[in-house]
Amino acid sequence: MDTFKLEVITPNGLIFDNEAVEVTLPGEEGEFGVLPRHASLTTLLKAGVIDIVTADKRTESIVVNWGVVQVTEDKVTVLVDGAVAIRGEGESEVAKVLADAKRLLAAVSDSKMALASVSAKIESAAHKLL
Amino acid sequence: MANLKDIQRKIKSVSSTQKTTRAMKLVSTAKLRRAEELAKRSRLFAEKTNAMISELASQIECMKIGGIENRAFSEIEAPKMVDIIFVTADKGLCGGFNMQTIKAVRKLMAEFKDEKVKVRLRGVGKKGIEFFSYNQVEMLDQEIGLSSMPDMDRAAEFMDASIQDFKDGKIDGVYVVYNGYKNVITQELHVNRIMPVDTNEFDCQDVSKSSLLELEAEDSEKMLDALLTKYAQYNMYYALIDSVAAEHSARMQAMDAATNNAKEMVKKLTVQYNKARQEAITTELIEIISGVESMK
Repeated sequence: MDTFKLEVITPNGLIFDNEAVEVTLPGEEGEFGVLPRHASLTTLLKAGVIDIVTADKRTESIVVNWGVVQVTEDKVTVLVDGAVAIRGEGESEVAKVLADAKRLLAAVSDSKMALASVSAKIESAAHKLL
Repeated sequence: MANLKDIQRKIKSVSSTQKTTRAMKLVSTAKLRRAEELAKRSRLFAEKTNAMISELASQIECMKIGGIENRAFSEIEAPKMVDIIFVTADKGLCGGFNMQTIKAVRKLMAEFKDEKVKVRLRGVGKKGIEFFSYNQVEMLDQEIGLSSMPDMDRAAEFMDASIQDFKDGKIDGVYVVYNGYKNVITQELHVNRIMPVDTNEFDCQDVSKSSLLELEAEDSEKMLDALLTKYAQYNMYYALIDSVAAEHSARMQAMDAATNNAKEMVKKLTVQYNKARQEAITTELIEIISGVESMK
């Protein structure tokens, strides 16, 4: 099965660095998905959620507040300003991550609608973990 | 003959200095570890951002996509005024760390002067600012406290002023000078040109094979703008954290040397003290003996 290398880099280091089969990114002009051998492109991201399907079929979500993505045929590099990965074990840890993610988003987004839709997405991602 | 008490006092003073320098070294070692970790983690982001921006820049150069006119990506002929931002530490006692940066800044300023380019100096870090104000060199901005506590927001704010002036055409270049961390025992001086972006790294032939800008002209302009701002801000921030790491490593070394010197000094003084004491005993003995002799 085809995979591509996905890197999510924040000013504080790598937050995700693994093989993936699919990734959905919150592009400036709307969400878009990337599969292996996608045509090359470079674009901006807005605040939202990056959904990743890793090579071993797990799903992972990362909340970002701003970013740039560079897609080449075998590699996707995402540079973000601030990011919170929705992962963790147990209810308390997940709740903490959720709060962090929401704080990150609240700082950048001014439209309540956008915030609500992203929040809903994070909540559902968090639910899957529990 | 040196007074016994005097020597004793000197020994005491040197060994308490030694205690202080040793403590400072330990503090620096601990801080260095943290700063180094931070710098290491951020390096990747800095590298990727720089790679992406220079790739975009060369694509624009080579392909003239959408006729983007952006000052940031073309070499400016006959610049009139440039900004030099220097980063030094807020504190001294770290060997030649600050002086190296200051020297580099003066050299750069002299070079620009020869080319008849005006220089606006913007300083971060108390030591450098003190030096230039003592020498009556005018500074546009003075920021104290930022270099010991790097902060993304403050770094961004500081950089934005230069970038805005560059975009408005008030200045024709932005340079950052700082002393960066190489490894525990060496620091490396960096003179980075932030604006205009260096486009020489990429070959036009390579570019045609790599990722294409799949965007409308106005979009890419917007994206470039956002990316450029981030690039400049982040470079500033990275300069700060790299400089902190370097500062601690320099201080660690300086304090280590100071501790060793103090140790040597105590050794020498102790020998001197023992000699003086022996001398005193000998004189006393001679006095007693000659006293006894005269009584006979």
